Amino acid sequence: MHVPPRLRRLIAAALPALLAVAFAACSTAAYPNSVFTSETEYNREIGFLFKILIWLGTIVFIFVEGLLLYTIWRFRRRSDSDRPEHVHGNTTLEILWTATPALILVLIAVPTVRTIFKTQAKATADALQVEVIGHQWWWEFRYPQYKIVTANELYLPVGRKVNFTLRSQDVIHSFSIPRLGGKRDLITNHTNFLWFTPDSIGEQALNGMCAEYCGASHANMRFKVFTVTPTNFASWAAHQQTGAAFGAQAPPTRAGVDSFLTHDSIGSRPDRDRLRATALAASRTLSPPASMAGHDMSAMTSTAGSVQPAEFIAFPREKIPQFAVPQTPIPDVQFNDALKGDPEKGRLLMTQGQGACLGCHTIVGNPSMLGVIGPSLTHVGSRTTIAGGIYPNDTKHLARWIKNARWMKPGVLMPTIGKGQYDPMLKANLQQGLSDEQIADMVAYLQALK
Amino acid sequence: MATTATAPVYAPVESYLGESSLWSWLTTVDHKRIGTLYLFTSLFFFLVGGIEAGVIRWQLAQPNMHVVSAETYNQLFTMHGTTMIFLAIMPLSAAFFNYIVPLQIGARDVAFPRLNAFSYWIFLLGGLFINASWFFGAAPNAGWFAYAPLTTRQFSPGMNIDFWVIGIQILGVSSLAASFNFITTIINMRAPGMNLMRMPMFTWNVFVTQFLIMMAFPVVTIALVFLQFDRFFGTQFYEIAAGADPLLWQHLFWIFGHPEVYILILPAFGLVSEIIPTFSRKPIFGYPVMAYATILIAFLAFGVWAHHMFAVGMGPIGDTVFGVTTMLIAIPTGVKIFNWIFTMWGGSLQFTTAMKFAIGLIFLFTIGGISGVMHSSPPADLQQTDTYFIVAHFHYVMFGGSMMGIFGGIYYYYPKMTGRLLNETLGSWHFWLTFIGMNLTFFPMHFAGLMGMPRRIYTYDAGQGWTAFNLMSSVGAAILIVGTGFFAWNFVRSYKKGAIAGNDPWKAGTLEWAMSSPPPEYNFERIPHVTSRLPLWDITSPQLTAQVPHSEHGDRRLDVDVGSKHVGSGHPNPTANVPKQAAESNMHIELPSGKSAKDLGITLPKPTLYPLLCAFGMTWMFTGLLFIPKDKVSLALAIMISGALFMTAALFAWVLTPLEDAH
Repeated sequence: MHVPPRLRRLIAAALPALLAVAFAACSTAAYPNSVFTSETEYNREIGFLFKILIWLGTIVFIFVEGLLLYTIWRFRRRSDSDRPEHVHGNTTLEILWTATPALILVLIAVPTVRTIFKTQAKATADALQVEVIGHQWWWEFRYPQYKIVTANELYLPVGRKVNFTLRSQDVIHSFSIPRLGGKRDLITNHTNFLWFTPDSIGEQALNGMCAEYCGASHANMRFKVFTVTPTNFASWAAHQQTGAAFGAQAPPTRAGVDSFLTHDSIGSRPDRDRLRATALAASRTLSPPASMAGHDMSAMTSTAGSVQPAEFIAFPREKIPQFAVPQTPIPDVQFNDALKGDPEKGRLLMTQGQGACLGCHTIVGNPSMLGVIGPSLTHVGSRTTIAGGIYPNDTKHLARWIKNARWMKPGVLMPTIGKGQYDPMLKANLQQGLSDEQIADMVAYLQALK
Repeated sequence: MATTATAPVYAPVESYLGESSLWSWLTTVDHKRIGTLYLFTSLFFFLVGGIEAGVIRWQLAQPNMHVVSAETYNQLFTMHGTTMIFLAIMPLSAAFFNYIVPLQIGARDVAFPRLNAFSYWIFLLGGLFINASWFFGAAPNAGWFAYAPLTTRQFSPGMNIDFWVIGIQILGVSSLAASFNFITTIINMRAPGMNLMRMPMFTWNVFVTQFLIMMAFPVVTIALVFLQFDRFFGTQFYEIAAGADPLLWQHLFWIFGHPEVYILILPAFGLVSEIIPTFSRKPIFGYPVMAYATILIAFLAFGVWAHHMFAVGMGPIGDTVFGVTTMLIAIPTGVKIFNWIFTMWGGSLQFTTAMKFAIGLIFLFTIGGISGVMHSSPPADLQQTDTYFIVAHFHYVMFGGSMMGIFGGIYYYYPKMTGRLLNETLGSWHFWLTFIGMNLTFFPMHFAGLMGMPRRIYTYDAGQGWTAFNLMSSVGAAILIVGTGFFAWNFVRSYKKGAIAGNDPWKAGTLEWAMSSPPPEYNFERIPHVTSRLPLWDITSPQLTAQVPHSEHGDRRLDVDVGSKHVGSGHPNPTANVPKQAAESNMHIELPSGKSAKDLGITLPKPTLYPLLCAFGMTWMFTGLLFIPKDKVSLALAIMISGALFMTAALFAWVLTPLEDAH
């Protein structure tokens, strides 16, 4: 097939240019979850491999499709009396097009195998350890070195290797932060690992999501990742280690750190059920469970040191780019937004077991909030999103979420607790439940838990 | 017969379609009627699956849309996959197996005609069973892959998965019965002289596909039995609380699931391998290599399953092994692509609709193949798996490959089935709308995936960089629907109004075109004697087969008696490269004689209702399982036992009824 030299030069010049444009178009501003980034060593490894694949793929594509198009153009039937040559095979050609693809595949296989062993090597010991536990449909993040348990928001120090230990509480999930690299399944009764170093990224907010279908709200199982400077990370961690506190309440205790040790949500089911029963019993007697009475604060091991007034306690909201702010429309849940809640009343309501929040949630520093089914709410006020990352954490959304979570997120375990609300799972209206006033108080309390 | 003989145009006469009563269809054991039933049923399910896809694309057209609820969406994508795989593409291929293979190999019917009827009825009832779930608001909702532990009773307490697991089990019976039937047919019932290396390429692909079915379906059957026992009888194969390993399901499922991909694509490859030589006026390039490549693909298919599981953490050794075996599969597949292109090279290409679809397959499957190699590399796959990149890839393979081939096959074989041609103008509209719509739908999905969009999400947020790609995909889906409308209209309209086809409208080279269209119920009046790969071209266009081997080997066993009947006599074998002598073979063109099988003294299997009754009994028996979780055990037992008794009685009656009248 004869191509005029000028055309050939044009193609030679245009192809890389086109690809360059294509890659440039994948800028993180327009495509905030693009995998074509080089912000971790992991992504750079894969990016290198990907470039080989794309280049070879493009060459094969152009060659094969070009040959096909040329063939159908060149040998189209011109008259009914065409007498095609009666070739029925050609051994040389057939060996050639068996061997050539094999060679191309070797070009792919060698760097592939190299990258497999490199990315799956054991993470170095100095890495930041983060345990990721998948739940239907939210994420539990635990920092064993700092004794922190949090949910749906992941803080990572820039420049430090982070090693994720991935487990699941229920069904299979998959941990994916496309910008930082890779993907790894969270498999029940298995432990998986994934590590990378966010070394070429500044303070940034990123999206993460569940990538393995995990049931009704799979699409609603998202999380936020904040890469922060090491100093800010230390400050954030120190704050996370303190118990929840607000206003004139007693100074933050570190009781919660101890509860890290017992708050292992991956336990045998009977354990969890027992914990839950304790919590529910506590809610009925309206007094703190006996087990909490003799807490030995000194037994706590601390890598955190003493509690300092923290400057950086959460990623500043004004710095969060638009793509990391959820825009899920609010379903039709009526709430009197004019109500202004009282956090102290809210604290009392929760402590007394109203709405049965304590059956599932922990608030370190609030001795009756010991549940382990749902996400820890210790510093929920400082988080930017709620409900597995699908709503922004503000009064409007939080109130509706408490009022009728099942209407706000399909299939969710958290019950509908607003009085008179329609529970889509029970398919009935709730006869009893919390009033808007009570909910507003609870919202005020939760939001005060910075 | 003259060397220039072409088939004259005849109006369809006395054919297998002669009798049209409902009873004749319910009791039929004729492979052509069963093929026709398969075709109509699976086209219906194809439309159902298409509507499901349409709703999916409507929901995803814009961010945060709520056309359907999360639950309904999950049911839709599960049923879209399940329907397209088990109820559309597989049985569409089965329609061609049934209709074409016996004609292509010069047989009167398949080896077990009544088992064949059973295969169809159990497929129909299984398909209806699984779709009946819609009427209970409990369509399956765990994806077509149904990963444990999501499918265990603990996480899926409803009837949704019950319908799925039973339905797939029923459909598996159909596929397995058919595979034994076709393997036996192809091995035993080829016309005299048609040795394996003279079999048409389509029959070759069917042959290999049946082995894949025979070896892959038992694996998924086991996986499903475990799940059934977990869900209905309290075993703990997948119960995580009892310490089960969820990867058991994944391994078992994909050991079936990957060969399943080739079960879906190889028949389409076979159809294309018939269409391209015919419309290029050239024999297939590298016939032996094509046959070996098919076998090699099937062989490698069993060694690559874990490439669906690179994200589960198999460790570097597992990833390496499965990455490399996956890459290897690209080699025989590439060989096929080049052989098709070189079949056309130097040919005289006629762009009928069938040919357009065949070329469409080469074009689109190549794209699917390239993206396939891109995720054969495990580290790269970790960025792609469970994103829309994968959705793009397998739609290029399944729609761009299988469906394009099947559409081509329908345009190619419709005249043989109905005696009338599909309209070429409407066909052209259908092709171009499908081709453009398909690319507009699925190409942007590559980018959506690489920009991080995960699969199986019922909604997505704005500002993620996915909106434009999704809108393009949805517009493309609308174009696909319009294109399919053209096809449906063409299909219905041509049934009565299409141009009369005659024996051989495409001037093809294989046996099925040597008989009238539609064929008489007994197929060939005289079983032809095959002396080359393209027996019809030996008569109609001997110059085209001059270089095709006409070996003596395989012809010596011609002089045989079957029972007391003399079925063939020795004949001068045409020496290779002498076209004139090829024309003197015993191969012949059948003219529609209008005679019935009785007139000709041909014994045909008797119609019988028992296969249908047996299939019904089996489905009824399975239905009983649905009541166990509802604590209606005695009702469940009553249904299951009565179903089992009914099935056994039907089986006995079936076995005790002679296949054909004594002669």
